[in-house]
Amino acid sequence: MKKNIFAAVFAAILLMTGNVRANVDAAGAEAFVKNVTNDGIENIINANISQKEKDTRFEKLFNNALDLDFIGKFVLGRAWRTATPQQRKDFIATYRELNIKTWSKRFDEFKGKNFIFKGTTPSNSPNQIFVNTTVPMDQGEPAKVVWRVKQNGSQFKVVDIIIENVSLAITARNEYAGFIKNNAGGVDALIKDLQAKVKAM
Amino acid sequence: MIKKSILLPAVSALVLITASCASTGNNNPHEDNDTLESYNRAVFKFNYQVDKYVLKPIAEGYRDITSESVRERVNSVLLNTKEPLFAINNILQGNFKASGISVGRFIINTTLGLGGAFDVAKGWGFPRETQTFDDTLAQWNVPDGPFVVLPFIGPSTPRAATSLVLAMATDPVYWATRNDANVRDKINYTYTAVEAIALRERTLDLLNELERGSVDYYSTMRSAYLQNRKNKGGGNAENDAQSYDFDFGVEDEDEAFNDMEDE
Repeated sequence: MKKNIFAAVFAAILLMTGNVRANVDAAGAEAFVKNVTNDGIENIINANISQKEKDTRFEKLFNNALDLDFIGKFVLGRAWRTATPQQRKDFIATYRELNIKTWSKRFDEFKGKNFIFKGTTPSNSPNQIFVNTTVPMDQGEPAKVVWRVKQNGSQFKVVDIIIENVSLAITARNEYAGFIKNNAGGVDALIKDLQAKVKAM
Repeated sequence: MIKKSILLPAVSALVLITASCASTGNNNPHEDNDTLESYNRAVFKFNYQVDKYVLKPIAEGYRDITSESVRERVNSVLLNTKEPLFAINNILQGNFKASGISVGRFIINTTLGLGGAFDVAKGWGFPRETQTFDDTLAQWNVPDGPFVVLPFIGPSTPRAATSLVLAMATDPVYWATRNDANVRDKINYTYTAVEAIALRERTLDLLNELERGSVDYYSTMRSAYLQNRKNKGGGNAENDAQSYDFDFGVEDEDEAFNDMEDE
């Protein structure tokens, strides 16, 4: 009984918002992620260039492919609403730097690997879609990597990466919520700690 | 089996305690369900020290002195001892064919595969049908319950802990040695230790990476653990990370936060 009501409400919501969702261009989103991964593998990982040049290229790819302003806002969660404009700016900048440093280091793990595209899945959120991929591993089952892509006009941006069911954005959001809850210093202390992490990398 | 006989009531007691809190857990999708946070953080801290000074150094040493192919064989032997567990759970889920495959795999790989070191059965077209009690309980819609960190064992939930206890009963190493008191404890302790070290070795890089970028390691671990579990189901069949609403409708957020503050 409960399920029936839920299904009916859900269907009604779906009908009302259906026109919003229909806007996402699934083929375009998949092509976008294909481009990003190809660019990363061919022009960065496999390219015969210096590490410094690799880092520069990675930073450019990262900034073009991901909507860090959007992700940062989501990741800071409830604290975003009470943060001052300066705190918001500092947080996004530090979060961006932390991710670039973390991922440029881990990027080499994809050496010799490739992404196999498995189509798309619709999302509950407007203008968003999931692009499903797997990465064959040396041992065991292939890893499941899902890209949450947001469409803005004709432009696509990655807003989350879900590796083996674990969303990077949700994990970060819980991590920062946990930190803020247990630290009297709040957002300022968080930014300071994140900056220290960046420096140590 | 001193260790197991102590562990069993201890875990059962924990399951009872935590299960009783299950109904009070917050259902807000924006934050992890963690009614036992202060207890959990204390145990997490304890486990972290045990790991830092005992388990992790041993796992690193193990990695240093073995080649990847040796570790692959060890992991394969360990995984082979889980086949009876998979067989029983395939039956409990009504997959009789898969259960037969698990039994066949155990017999073939234990004998021709040299104690499970080599997966001969896979080459014959019988891939592993991994199903644990946790998967069975999830399929039976048993709720997961709140997040709980168990001493030495780590992140868990009442359902995961229950599965762990049930799995002990299907352990072929225990059944094979139970009649000989002299070797029983020695073999079982060794087996448990090898299993713990091998598991830690497999997660060395991942956990190092998680910790390096984290400002609150406990919350990071909890979030990753819970996201992975929610995918297992039990009234939560949809992938949490994907069903998650990534919309920044400020009103929704306000509502969610207000609900949280009311609790």
